[in-house]
Amino acid sequence: MRIQTSKLTKVYRGKVRAIDGVDLDVPVGMYGLLGSNGAGKTTLMRILAGLLKPTSGRVVLGGHDITTPAGRVAVQRTLGYLPQDLGVYPDLTARRFLDYIALLKGLDARSARRRRIGELLEVVALGEHADRKLRGFSGGMLRRVGIAQALLADPRLLIVDEPTTGLDPEERIRFRTMLSQLAGDRTVLLSTHIVEDVAQTCRDLAVLAKGRLVFQGATGELVSQAAGRVWNLTTSGPAPAEGRIVAAVPEGAGTRYRLIAAAAPHPHAEPVSPTLEDGYLALMGVAPC
Amino acid sequence: MTATMRYEYLMQVRRPTLWLVYLLVFAVTAATLPFWSLDLGGRDPGDPRSAMLSAADILIAVLPMVYGCMIADRPGRDRALGVDGVLSAIPAGRTGRLLGKYLGVCAATATPFLAIFLGRAAGYAVIEGEAAALGWSLVVFLSVIAPGLAFLGALAFAGPLLVPPLLFRVLFVAYWFWGNLIPVTMMPTLSHTVLSATGEYAARGWFEGGFGPRPEAALDVLRPEATPLSAALWVGVMIALAAAMLVLVRLHAIRSES
Repeated sequence: MRIQTSKLTKVYRGKVRAIDGVDLDVPVGMYGLLGSNGAGKTTLMRILAGLLKPTSGRVVLGGHDITTPAGRVAVQRTLGYLPQDLGVYPDLTARRFLDYIALLKGLDARSARRRRIGELLEVVALGEHADRKLRGFSGGMLRRVGIAQALLADPRLLIVDEPTTGLDPEERIRFRTMLSQLAGDRTVLLSTHIVEDVAQTCRDLAVLAKGRLVFQGATGELVSQAAGRVWNLTTSGPAPAEGRIVAAVPEGAGTRYRLIAAAAPHPHAEPVSPTLEDGYLALMGVAPC
Repeated sequence: MTATMRYEYLMQVRRPTLWLVYLLVFAVTAATLPFWSLDLGGRDPGDPRSAMLSAADILIAVLPMVYGCMIADRPGRDRALGVDGVLSAIPAGRTGRLLGKYLGVCAATATPFLAIFLGRAAGYAVIEGEAAALGWSLVVFLSVIAPGLAFLGALAFAGPLLVPPLLFRVLFVAYWFWGNLIPVTMMPTLSHTVLSATGEYAARGWFEGGFGPRPEAALDVLRPEATPLSAALWVGVMIALAAAMLVLVRLHAIRSES
């Protein structure tokens, strides 16, 4: 399902401009949406999921204008949504929770519903915990329940908002791998402020800063934003004054710095290949703030 | 709507607190009011219909406070638990979901009330050998008690949108005494009017008569003579008020969505 927004703007009461004239084009497949906290990602996700009305602009998902009631219903029929602050009913088991959501999603036939829930619990590796109450689940397990509920109706569009925040490294890797596997012929829109998650799963991405779209394209293009501008410098002296320090690792008597700078920040600085994080930071360094 | 109703009913009716609070308040009621004799004076406790009307009078003086207070935390529960994001992204109609929640929660919260009332009817039927009491208890519950509960349930859905549930509970108890129980001559009050949720108009208008204007009291324009018509009017008022409250809740939700 293709997502297209045109001049999309959301102004909250109090004149807070959360989204500002965003023109976005998201193809089928895994797509990353990067941005710092407060960049407007969650607002954009909520608009795309039909939870918020934009102040102005167009939002078309799979040919349906989500700002119309009919369009919203049509999109939500093919949508799976995992919100950033996913909550559950703590007194229900994972199976009962999914059963309730499945009923609300219109999976009325009991046997088909049970079969689907059983399949999904296996997909998210919760088959053994299906009949445990959700109050005892870890953060990672709850996110997996969240993904299972999002997949109940076999959606063409999966919107996941900051799904790996707060997860331990192992759970994070497992979760993002699962998202990649789910992409297939779906559109999976992954919103996050963790660059590594996008680097490991997405071929294309967009970057939001203060409600504005400052980049959209392939991850390689974002990496190239930092080409020739990333440097390694090991010194026992003071931190380099020029450039933006990305990393500082103590090494022997000195410190090894990784920097982003337009020109070599020190005579001994060595150029290195940029990563997606370097590209993102280089972009944000020149983005309008 | 059906799925929401079923879920909300089960979640509420399984709350131990619901039953515990009802039982405690019922114990106080039974200890202080003539719940066992059903002799309120003016009615024949030996007549099953009169006995069930007396049982309703006694229970409805107190139990609606439990009913309203136990509902107050349910409307905001989805938001408090963080489930509202997932639910709102589901194509099921939000108005249908609100109605399902309202019906499920109100039915569940009324279940202990109904159980106590039917329990008294069963006891009466066994002790007095009057099986008709069972039938009358259902008739009285549906016609005298249920319409008021429909309104009070909607009020308990709308109130916590304006004030926190805890404060709403305090205000609700105050409202219950002021608007339904205090003598009409004490101060301007909704007691004994068609806006009161105690079901007097249904009880008197359909079953007994002998109830109506109190010229010495304020707001007497709201106290027509109790007749079958004014009883039907009271039911209509309760349902209309409940609908109005639910419309307010829905409008509030729409406003929040924007």
